[in-house]
Amino acid sequence: MLIFQLLALAGLIAGLYGITLRYAETKRRVLPTDKSPIKGNISHGITYAFTKGMMPWAKESTRIHMIAYLRGIGFHVGIFTAIGAVIVSPFWTYLPSFLFVTLFWVLTVGAVLGAAGGIMRIAEHNLRGLSLPDDHFAVWLTTLFIMAAGLAVVDKAFVIPMYIISTITFVYIPLGKIRHCLYFFFSRIFFGKFFGRRAVFPHPAVVK
Amino acid sequence: MSETVELALKTLESQLNQPLETALEACARCGICAEACHYYRAEPKVEHIPAFRAEQLRSVYRHEHDFLSRLFPIWTRSKKLDESTLANLTEIAFSQCTLCRRCTVNCPLGVDTPLMMRAIRAMASAAGTAPEILVMLADAAIEKGKDPSFYKEMFLEQIKEMEEQLRDITGDPNAAIPVEKQGAKILYVPLAGAHTILPPAVVFNAAQEDWTLSIFEAANYGVFLADMKRAREVAKRIVDEANRLGVKEIVIAECGHAYASYRWDVPNWFAGEFDFKVRSLIEVLAEYIQEGKIQVDPTAIPEGVTYHDSCNLARNGGLIEEPRYVLSKITSDFREMTPSKAEAICCGGGGGLVALAEYADRRIAAGKPKADQIKNTGARVVVAACENCRLQIGDLNEHYNLDVRITALTDLVVRAMRLPKPLPGTEAEHLFEGEKVAVTDK
Repeated sequence: MLIFQLLALAGLIAGLYGITLRYAETKRRVLPTDKSPIKGNISHGITYAFTKGMMPWAKESTRIHMIAYLRGIGFHVGIFTAIGAVIVSPFWTYLPSFLFVTLFWVLTVGAVLGAAGGIMRIAEHNLRGLSLPDDHFAVWLTTLFIMAAGLAVVDKAFVIPMYIISTITFVYIPLGKIRHCLYFFFSRIFFGKFFGRRAVFPHPAVVK
Repeated sequence: MSETVELALKTLESQLNQPLETALEACARCGICAEACHYYRAEPKVEHIPAFRAEQLRSVYRHEHDFLSRLFPIWTRSKKLDESTLANLTEIAFSQCTLCRRCTVNCPLGVDTPLMMRAIRAMASAAGTAPEILVMLADAAIEKGKDPSFYKEMFLEQIKEMEEQLRDITGDPNAAIPVEKQGAKILYVPLAGAHTILPPAVVFNAAQEDWTLSIFEAANYGVFLADMKRAREVAKRIVDEANRLGVKEIVIAECGHAYASYRWDVPNWFAGEFDFKVRSLIEVLAEYIQEGKIQVDPTAIPEGVTYHDSCNLARNGGLIEEPRYVLSKITSDFREMTPSKAEAICCGGGGGLVALAEYADRRIAAGKPKADQIKNTGARVVVAACENCRLQIGDLNEHYNLDVRITALTDLVVRAMRLPKPLPGTEAEHLFEGEKVAVTDK
């Protein structure tokens, strides 16, 4: 068991190292300074980008694709819950039993939503046209990762498979499509800065 | 590797800053952006999904910068840039994207696809594969800036004639169109054509503004090319003029890309030399009405009126409430399009598309969602505060039989000022015809 725990830990360290390298590489690039006079408020824009702007009703696209968007949110909740569950797995014996039931259901729902996403990528015409092999692999790998974590919290027989799949997932994060988890933050910050500065989001409903 | 490809790649590298790399890396290819694009709405196919378009550049970027893609190109469909790929990228960036940023607003991650399209345009401009007409228009503007004396005399003659018209319209014998007035407060930068000079001149005179007219036009084709060198040179003419005259403020005519570039980009290109406030004529109109500097008749426009948000003015420029405030003071039947404001659908004429005759069919087809929006309002008058939008909506009007009149905001304001005579050669003149008797009675 310890070997597999160490393997997963090594995978986690490798993944974090890879993501840190990516972060450093992007930060090394030029960040254009904007000298145009501000009309709105940049910090309000960034706050909007991570809060109101993420609500399913905030955008026409998510209003149209509400189910797909909520599926994605549920899937990502599952991923982060699985990461948390794996990290604290050496201390599972100290956790109250009701937590395992909650974890099991959150992870099960996450895995089902992940699998739905994987199937959609194959079945839906637009998504099939957009998807790369990397996308298909990433969605099924993370689904498997959530599923393994979900099964492991209720059945010890799945703990070793969970560590093996976790290792692969962690190592793959900086290498493939999953690294968008890092760029999500960059992207929403730039979104908030751009539209906040120009008073588009949030947008004051008065003429100044 | 050919010299063309080498230049394009070199330009991509030089463009690769934090926001661009983020845009290239962040996409999850969820496809949720599809309906945000007017091209997709008009013709739903995978190639019209913004994420698909961006993928074409990403595949090149990955080949250059991604470890896994270099080992297994098939895994991420990465590919080496060659002349045919560059031609395809150029075609996409100049004919299938108006840089409206509607996809960015609708992306759950906020991926800035227009930033990538701009990068492609810059690559094409550097490699010499960008549409020639845009290059020619930008270069002509630069040449004009080098020696304005060539056409200045003719321009001043035209202004003299316009002054006569101005006095005729306003009934004010002292009404004037000052050109190159030293120390004026405002430098007004028009577009090519009297229709962007005469109506603002009426307004500035009525407001007793201390203004002067620029001898250059606001349009900047270097911006459409994403060619920073050219765009800067075109803008420099006006920056130098403003510095020479010692004005405090530059007011841009009703033009989307000119406003967005002078308001939000030009201050970055001329750090230290640019100490002016930049406003759109729309903001000035709102201010004059708000402060009572011009008097307008709230019942002047009884017809159903709708407003088209230019992407550069609204979503990319933050001018959302100002035109609506003006319209609320001069119209009695204003009809909002759905969706509008920051979510407004692009008319299809932005990004320089109106100037590219070779893509006219595509442009008209992509304008269908806007035509449907206009039709749904049932309005008789469409106000657009951007010249390219007006040209595009004019084409849509004809093609989709919308039976509407398209007008600039200033023209309608002048009409609401109840002057002795209408503005010649504007849509507002046609609208004016119907009420001539009533005006004469007044």
